[in-house]
Amino acid sequence: MQSFGVFAETFLQALTAGLLVGAIYGLMCVGLGLIFGVMRVINFAQGDFLMLGMYVTLYLVAGIALLPFQSSTAVPFVAAIVAGPILCAAGYLLHRALISRVTGTRAAGVEGEGHYAQLILTLGLSLIVQNGGLILFGSTPQSVRTALSSRAWEIPLRFNDTAALFLNQARTIAALVSIVVAVALYWIINRSRLGKMLRAAADNSMAATYMGIDVDRAHRIAFGIGIGVTAVAGGLVATFNPFQPYVGLDYVIIMYAGVVLGGMGSILGAYWGGMTIGLVQQLSTLVLPTQLQNATIFVVFLLIVLIRPQGLFGRASERV
Amino acid sequence: MLQIESLSVNYGGLHALSEVSLSVREGQYVAIVGPNGAGKTTLFKAISGMVPASGGGIRYQGRDLLALPPAERARLGIAHVPEGRQVFNSMSVLENLEIGAYPPAARTHWRRNLERIFTLFPVLAERRAQLAGTLSGGEQQMLAIGRGIASSPRLLMLDEPSMGLAPAVADLIFDRIGALHRDDGLTLLLVEQRVAEAVQSCDFGYVLESGRVALEGPNEVLLADDRIRKVYLGM
Amino acid sequence: MARRGGLGTSLVIIALLALAWCALAAVVANSYYLLMLTLVPIWAVMGLSWNLLSGYTGLVSFGHAAFFGLGAYTVVIALIRFDLTPWFGIPLGTLVGALAGIVIGYPTFRLRGHYFALSMLAYPMALLYVFVWLGYQEVALPMKRAEPAWFMQFADYRVYVALAVGLLVVALLVSLAVERSRFGMSLLAIKQNEPAAEAAGIDTLKWKMRAVMLSGALAAAAGGLYAVVLLVVTPESVFGVLTSAQALVVTLFGGVGTLWGPVIGAAILIPLSETLQAELGDVLPGIQGVVYGVAILLVILLAPEGIYWRLRDRFYRPRRAPPAEMDASADTEAAAAPAELPARDPILRVSGLNKSFGGLRAVADVGFEVHAGEILGIIGPNGAGKTTLFNLLNGFLRLDDGEIVFDGHSMIGLKPNRVCRFGIGRTFQVVRSFARMSLLHNVVVGAYAVTTNDADAFRLAREALRRVALSAEADDMAGKLTNKQLRLMELARALAGRPRLLLLDEPLAGLGSAEVEDVLALLRSISAGGVTIVIIEHTMRAMVRLAGRFIVLDHGRVLASGLPNEVTNDRNVVEAYLGAKWAAIRAAD
Repeated sequence: MQSFGVFAETFLQALTAGLLVGAIYGLMCVGLGLIFGVMRVINFAQGDFLMLGMYVTLYLVAGIALLPFQSSTAVPFVAAIVAGPILCAAGYLLHRALISRVTGTRAAGVEGEGHYAQLILTLGLSLIVQNGGLILFGSTPQSVRTALSSRAWEIPLRFNDTAALFLNQARTIAALVSIVVAVALYWIINRSRLGKMLRAAADNSMAATYMGIDVDRAHRIAFGIGIGVTAVAGGLVATFNPFQPYVGLDYVIIMYAGVVLGGMGSILGAYWGGMTIGLVQQLSTLVLPTQLQNATIFVVFLLIVLIRPQGLFGRASERV
Repeated sequence: MLQIESLSVNYGGLHALSEVSLSVREGQYVAIVGPNGAGKTTLFKAISGMVPASGGGIRYQGRDLLALPPAERARLGIAHVPEGRQVFNSMSVLENLEIGAYPPAARTHWRRNLERIFTLFPVLAERRAQLAGTLSGGEQQMLAIGRGIASSPRLLMLDEPSMGLAPAVADLIFDRIGALHRDDGLTLLLVEQRVAEAVQSCDFGYVLESGRVALEGPNEVLLADDRIRKVYLGM
Repeated sequence: MARRGGLGTSLVIIALLALAWCALAAVVANSYYLLMLTLVPIWAVMGLSWNLLSGYTGLVSFGHAAFFGLGAYTVVIALIRFDLTPWFGIPLGTLVGALAGIVIGYPTFRLRGHYFALSMLAYPMALLYVFVWLGYQEVALPMKRAEPAWFMQFADYRVYVALAVGLLVVALLVSLAVERSRFGMSLLAIKQNEPAAEAAGIDTLKWKMRAVMLSGALAAAAGGLYAVVLLVVTPESVFGVLTSAQALVVTLFGGVGTLWGPVIGAAILIPLSETLQAELGDVLPGIQGVVYGVAILLVILLAPEGIYWRLRDRFYRPRRAPPAEMDASADTEAAAAPAELPARDPILRVSGLNKSFGGLRAVADVGFEVHAGEILGIIGPNGAGKTTLFNLLNGFLRLDDGEIVFDGHSMIGLKPNRVCRFGIGRTFQVVRSFARMSLLHNVVVGAYAVTTNDADAFRLAREALRRVALSAEADDMAGKLTNKQLRLMELARALAGRPRLLLLDEPLAGLGSAEVEDVLALLRSISAGGVTIVIIEHTMRAMVRLAGRFIVLDHGRVLASGLPNEVTNDRNVVEAYLGAKWAAIRAAD
């Protein structure tokens, strides 16, 4: 009975941790889902933009601290959200300057070649951002600490007097913020005129052009939004996990795993895919050593693409 | 309204169109017929800007179309209902129509156009929330035409609206196309394999063969000409 | 790809290069420069390894670090745990690399494009964490002062240069052997058009597996030597993304799919980045990665296939063979009256064939027979299911239901390359050429199906080219041909495989009327030569003069079949082509 109680407690603790981290993974997957799943552009540097989101958040928080206001515990979360539009603009410009040369209508018709060029080009970008980041930010791990990072809400468990569930406050708020951002994005994509325009351009670029839609512009906007959303997720992760310029590599696989798992082309699917990855990662710690946490994700990713490339939520892939 | 002069299009060493000239006047219903591979769809794509012209010119209401990017052309009131329907499969019927009304000029007439679309094709009203990808071929064709009407076009270009449809459905589509011309006074440019349907209903027709205009004339002249059969069946 | 016929030249260049490199090492005293002289060949080997898989097949690998790291750790662990000298450790690592190639390649080749690339990235990343977990964070090779040479530990650094150059020579020879054989030709064909390669009889999976094994072995060898040279191995340094990227970058920069590309790339980029790292590394710690990143961007934007190709396109002019005599045999055969159809044996029997895509029945209950020696035309309006039928016949698509018997053998469930080996050749609606290969090489790929001897294959290919009167253009790149020449090339590729049945998908599409006549004459002569032909064609004018019998498809079903004039007067056929009203009007006449 005693041992069951201990197990149940650790299990529940891992489950909550998985849900909390999964909520944020879900958001980063939604960002990539827009670029890769919907627009079918492969962006290898997505993880590095996530990393930039972390550093932008860090510097915004540091900047705000210099202002003569009473600092609030909400500052890091606000900074993470502000990092979104900043990197969205960067993504938009980057697409215009570089990515558009290997995607969209110009690369249409050379399906295979287009992807090859996208892969390599974004690998190059990734190397530049990572190592440029090393030059600019240094290799020392950073973190956006708040008072909440080391505080937890304690939820007593009924079956045992001493057992309790600890919810790290920073993680919990970050998870809530990411759910709000994801819902907002879902609304934009499904209900707004802009979202419909993007979906039409992704669904059938030729027909969209016949309707007067500038498909290249649609791609730029989607790329920008995708980068921005992932950057917000990065900023949120930064409030409880330390990071350095190479951190993007760990996340890029998480993101692709989530998007593929969720089914290509589905925003909702991408979110659930990311959530699932978070759960798998945290629950794996119950049976595997922590050092293998990340290895688990890579193995899960391989299993997903090899066994079910259409994704677990593949049926829903017709919907967005 | 639309004036095409000795238009040529080459695809990697392949002459898809050579020196094709044709014209469409305001309010006219012009049909282009010809066997597969004659260059009909290429001609439409050249008008819409999806393939570059290698020679000749296209003028629309006095403007040089070839100088404009494809998306701009759609905003001038040219609606292209493409071959194979090309509806937005992952979007609902209503969303498809909304995208049809994307050009700014179309938005002001949205209500009126929507009403007209639903009168012509009541089934679209019933299925407005359904995903376009789950519609039958005939319904998708209706949606594709509806999407064209939603853009408040001055020139409606229809590429093989009967392709792959059962005869009864094709008849219904042709009937509605006729109504658009008769009742709404729309200028129509139709590409079609079914010669009789196309030639009978149009004012003026062109027969394309191997990228050239083989025959042209008002409908009664074409109907009487047995060369059409030769073009199609070889004997 | 590199010119054939230059084997001697290539060997001489390799020998001179190796000697020059060693001579350079002999005069350099500075140990830092000696390290550079060692690293350049090692990374060139890595590049050659990447090139063998990704350069030739076009499947981009982001994970060559997996092989490199396994090779490095095999050497280190063998030495520490079992006191095994690197002289055996490196070959052992090479073996491990080849095995890893099998284990990684077999499942991963089911994927294509970006999925393949990403999955390949996941292998080294997973291995990295596994090796950290196993406690191999930072492993130093123990010093063996007693017998340094036995343990590959030399005081004189120049020995390492010689070892690295030796490995490079091996890698170059392996690459050369691959490039000059049907191995390399098959890989190139896969890269440029995998379906066409399958249809031409190439077992694509088999060749890809061999490529990944060889590639894994070379990368592991490079990793093993790297460990010996640097004496310290960390998971990040051998399994890290930069390792995979470096393999890709040197090749991409120098030239993809060429022997010399990786060597050129390594010779330029490695010294550049190492020097920058040494000079500026303190101030700008990531400078090496930035240099690689910028190199990638520049290459993709300015010379997408690397410096080698850029220079080659600029300066290389193909030697033109003197215009060969047009082979008269084709004409004489054409002139001969078509042989009386012999006994009407069905060479191909199709019955009850069904194929649906989603709800659409693309092919429904199709059944027909093809008699030996005849020309059968398949006609029908757009979307009637004609090409789908061909894709079912040659194994590109799996049928839902039905029977296909060719010459007494069931073709069901066979891959296209097997179908081809049974004697069914095909051409495509849109010509599938290998644009970066010469005409002769395009055609020789088709001949591999029937002979295991490369010389025989070339003989068959030349014969096939003569047959279609393209001998004079044999050395031209396929990418520069006219539409008619491409159509003929594809026909020659199919003929080189000595087919008994040819499936031709719109071979006349896009041809002018004079060109149509030429191709028609050729097809008649091929038929007279005893090859049975099934042809899809829209140009009815041409078809009624070529085919002896027609099958009309509409909405996936057989609408009519029979002699040309029967079929063109069939009311159903007129309806399908010209519309019901037309049929009605004409019937009333």
